[in-house]
Amino acid sequence: MPPRPMNDDEVLSEMNKMVAFIKQEALEKAREIKVKADEEFAIEKAKLVKQEQQAIDAQFEKKRKGAEVAQKIAQSNLTNKSRLKLLQRREEQLQELFSIARTSILTFAEDEGRYSQFLEGAVVQGFLQLMETRVTLHVRGQDADIMRKAGEAAADSYAQISGREVSFELETTLSEDCAGGVKLVSSSRRITIDNTLDERLRLLEDKMLPEIRRDLFGPNENRKFYT
Amino acid sequence: MAAQNSQGIQTLLEAEKEAAKIVQQSRQYRLQRLKDARSEASREIDEYRQAKEAEFKSFEASHAGVTSNAQAAVDKETSVKLQAITDAYEANKDAVVKKLLDRVLLIQPELHRNLKRAGGAESQ
Repeated sequence: MPPRPMNDDEVLSEMNKMVAFIKQEALEKAREIKVKADEEFAIEKAKLVKQEQQAIDAQFEKKRKGAEVAQKIAQSNLTNKSRLKLLQRREEQLQELFSIARTSILTFAEDEGRYSQFLEGAVVQGFLQLMETRVTLHVRGQDADIMRKAGEAAADSYAQISGREVSFELETTLSEDCAGGVKLVSSSRRITIDNTLDERLRLLEDKMLPEIRRDLFGPNENRKFYT
Repeated sequence: MAAQNSQGIQTLLEAEKEAAKIVQQSRQYRLQRLKDARSEASREIDEYRQAKEAEFKSFEASHAGVTSNAQAAVDKETSVKLQAITDAYEANKDAVVKKLLDRVLLIQPELHRNLKRAGGAESQ
């Protein structure tokens, strides 16, 4: 049976239904869009914040590390400066000690007995090193006389010790500022032995440094190896 | 009846227009939300940055205190050690000077250990 045509009331109600339907659909779509919008809002915000936070954290971590390193450097500088001061003080004391020694050898030559004994020993030592038959002895002007006697005695000692003979000549070439002692020169003038008080002291100042350190300041606690 | 039809169509068209408006509004809301996300995020980020900045500043302040303390401590230790050096020197210097001078002044001549005492023969 074909559907009969609608009357006015039915048309109206159908119209209203359709209008309502259209509106309903629109509202639902709108709601969907809003919900999605809120979700995206939250996600986007969280993403941006997290990103920037990480960047900021990295930045400050770097700053903090830099500050720590700077502090370590400062600390190390302090320790260094302190060590240098200590070493400087030691060096000053050492130099003072050496100058005391230097001034005391200047007065040694006045004790004639000990001085001539020293000269004799020095000459013998020189002879034994040179092992020559003819030697020139250089002394200070004021030592010429003492030297003559001491030289003879030295030649005798040398003959006794080594069984060899030596003859020597005297020359007063050393300056008067020298503390004393003798320089021996071989006959060919090619070998010189400086056995003056100044030179002996100078050599000892250098060679005795480890021993001096031990005696003055105590042994090194950080040292591990001794031959 | 034609008049009713066009009326009906008109009503439907208007309903469609309303519907489109509603949807459009919700789309604008979405765009607004995206903008809000950005601006709120940047506000939070700034707050975070400032908090971190303050934390770092207090860390720096405490560290500066440590540095000046360290300086004072090291200086004190250094002057104690300096004094110890001087004291040790004063106590021992005479002994050391004597040792030094003895080595300078006392000579014990010896023949070189590789040589033998020659029976009157001359060397070279």
